[in-house]
Amino acid sequence: MYAPLLANRYLTSRIIPFIAVAAVALCVALVIVVVSVMTGFLDMVRSSGKTLIGDVVVTRDISGIPYYLDFIAEIEALPEAEAASAIVETYGLLQMPYGNGDANRVETVQVWGIDPVSLDRVASFYDKLYWVKPSEELAKTLAPDDPRLDPEYQRDEEGRTLRTSDGRPGIALGIEISAFNERSRDGSYRCEGPSNMQDPGYFMPNTRGAVLTLVPVSESASLAGEKKRRFAIVNEFQSGVYQIDAQRVLAPLADVQEMLLLNAAPLTSRTELDANGRPKVIGESPARATTIVVKASDGVSALALKIAVDAAYARFAARIDADDTKLVKAPEMITVATWEERLADLIGPVEKERELMRTLFSIVYLVCAGLVLAIFWAIVQEKTRDIGILRAIGASRTGVLWIFLRYGLLIGVAGSLVGVLLAWCVVTRINDIHDFLGAPAAMWLKVTASGAAIAAIAMALRGLLRNSALETVLWTFASIALVLISVVLFLHHGFMVWDPSVYYFSRIPNSLDWVTASTTVIGGVIFSVVGASIPAARAADTDPVKSLRYE
Amino acid sequence: MPHTNLHATLHTKPHTTLLSATHVKKTYRLGRVDVPVLTDASLEIGQGEWVAILGSSGSGKSTLLHLLGGLDRADKDSGPIHFGGEDLRSFSAGRENRYRNRDVGFVFQFYHLLPELTVLENAMLPALVGLSRMKWLSGRSELRQRATDLLESCGLSHRLKHRPAELSGGERQRVAIARALINGPKILLADEPTGNLDIRTGGGILDLLAATHAQGMTLVMVTHDEAVAARAQRRVRITDGRVE
Repeated sequence: MYAPLLANRYLTSRIIPFIAVAAVALCVALVIVVVSVMTGFLDMVRSSGKTLIGDVVVTRDISGIPYYLDFIAEIEALPEAEAASAIVETYGLLQMPYGNGDANRVETVQVWGIDPVSLDRVASFYDKLYWVKPSEELAKTLAPDDPRLDPEYQRDEEGRTLRTSDGRPGIALGIEISAFNERSRDGSYRCEGPSNMQDPGYFMPNTRGAVLTLVPVSESASLAGEKKRRFAIVNEFQSGVYQIDAQRVLAPLADVQEMLLLNAAPLTSRTELDANGRPKVIGESPARATTIVVKASDGVSALALKIAVDAAYARFAARIDADDTKLVKAPEMITVATWEERLADLIGPVEKERELMRTLFSIVYLVCAGLVLAIFWAIVQEKTRDIGILRAIGASRTGVLWIFLRYGLLIGVAGSLVGVLLAWCVVTRINDIHDFLGAPAAMWLKVTASGAAIAAIAMALRGLLRNSALETVLWTFASIALVLISVVLFLHHGFMVWDPSVYYFSRIPNSLDWVTASTTVIGGVIFSVVGASIPAARAADTDPVKSLRYE
Repeated sequence: MPHTNLHATLHTKPHTTLLSATHVKKTYRLGRVDVPVLTDASLEIGQGEWVAILGSSGSGKSTLLHLLGGLDRADKDSGPIHFGGEDLRSFSAGRENRYRNRDVGFVFQFYHLLPELTVLENAMLPALVGLSRMKWLSGRSELRQRATDLLESCGLSHRLKHRPAELSGGERQRVAIARALINGPKILLADEPTGNLDIRTGGGILDLLAATHAQGMTLVMVTHDEAVAARAQRRVRITDGRVE
């Protein structure tokens, strides 16, 4: 019964255990903060990466999937699928509406021919359009000068139909394609002109449009002549993934199909001629799509949907092959992949990075154990006499061992819980902290830091005059630190640690990863006990006679 | 010295042997050198006796006390130490712990109180060592009362919640005596109990020990001071590792 009394009393009546608790707390907080932010970052990458591709993606090369509407009907009949949408994917050149006349800037872009209505059902396409009227909830969070609050910038209908109000075909650009879209600190965009003034002339939907150049490719990989078409820029979109937003252009499916010669067209005989001496029309070559994106029904996993879509394709292909009226047969080689498989190259590195960080920061556990070991070693050294007394009054070795293990356990538990609390405070307020660091320091802070630095210097001098080495050394260190902080506050205009142009996301992930927090707490407690176990065993082995020898 | 319940009439029944050491040897190893401390020490302590062990510094008197109290073990070729007929050499680790906890009480020259505990907690400590959590829960008020009574009888009723650092040397030694008595031991082993105190304060401690002895407690006291030893019923002297 004495073990808890002594362990608790040792913990609360001395400064050293508090240093140990603080050390464990800092170690635990460090691991939780780093892994939580990394996990949040990974989650953001995953959810953003999934943008616009639904749960399962069916792809074929540039030859496309014929009779894709039949295939979509087959998919949508599946209980596992909620909706499907056809896409034609290709690369092209986009001559931007700025530059120097004919030498206007040309961007290499990834072009997606889409059907906005069905894509919205699959992948909430409308939500990705940037220049639309913000919801009331979103409007409350926007800065007063955010252009999206200005009706002049709200192009909802054009974006949703990919057509201008007078019916011309339009395209939506990834928000990062235009060189004049400037990202603000809060993640919003302003259309900045060359003179760095806001200029509606650089608001893409206000321009006279852009020229898209695509090159049709035949099944035998030979190039037909390039196709150019001017499109109005009707809106811009933001997926949340830099690679998509800086490269992708969304255009009406029919237009892209036409430009790539993937639209429905008469099928002619290679051997027979008609009465006019032209190749004889023997049927119709169906329109094609290179990609079909599918959304899973509620509660259906992407993997289950993938299996169902695979089976649906087999049925679809068999039906096409059996139908003599369909002259073009279903391709044998298509790829069906879940969104995670499709994004493996994007998610994989981030996942690896997180695990690397987790592993590296897990070394902190060893630091934790080492700190506890060092502190406990000192405590046991100092408590040798107490241990002798306890042994003299009948305490067993196990009892003495348990005092120090329990002591380590208390430090581990207290330190880990304080660490979780600290991590929670940091993670949930990480954006406020970042904003605080990012903004130039307030005058009161500069003055306070300078005042504290002067006071510390005065205290160091006082220590010198009083001939106190400890006082002098401690206050000298404090003076140096405070002087440096003051200088930095005066000279620096804030630290941009999380640069949105690097990490893309405007806000740092700020939710605590409770799984990591729990495992870190358990790890912190275990390693504290491990750190305490060696000094505890040493304490148990203490010879009471030697420890009580008073000479 | 306050009037306490330890001040009872002197006990004068015939002594039966409670603790005995027969041809006990103890050698310490200092580096590569064996230093024989006790070469052939024999001593019998009767029930209810107060024996003073005299000797110069380094004569082995404290070593003998440690051996009698089960704090240390004699050499392998040593003779036995018997307590109530039991040979201490045959004790298991558990029995040895119980012996130190229940059968003997130690009083040290430098008090050896735990600085983090209050006076009351220090006095209760040996009882806590011998108690399981369940027994503590059921008997804690009784134990607290026992420790309080004991401390009161040692003149420390006003110091129960103080820490050792707040006490004088004499008060600390009284706490150490209360601690030694808390489990009702059969024998009290005191190692220079007044060695760190002035004559007046030391006299008070000896009065307290005398009162304890008067209640029937067997007492073995190690001292180098003839005047202190004079308070005991019997004096033995250690010279060259032998009890004379």
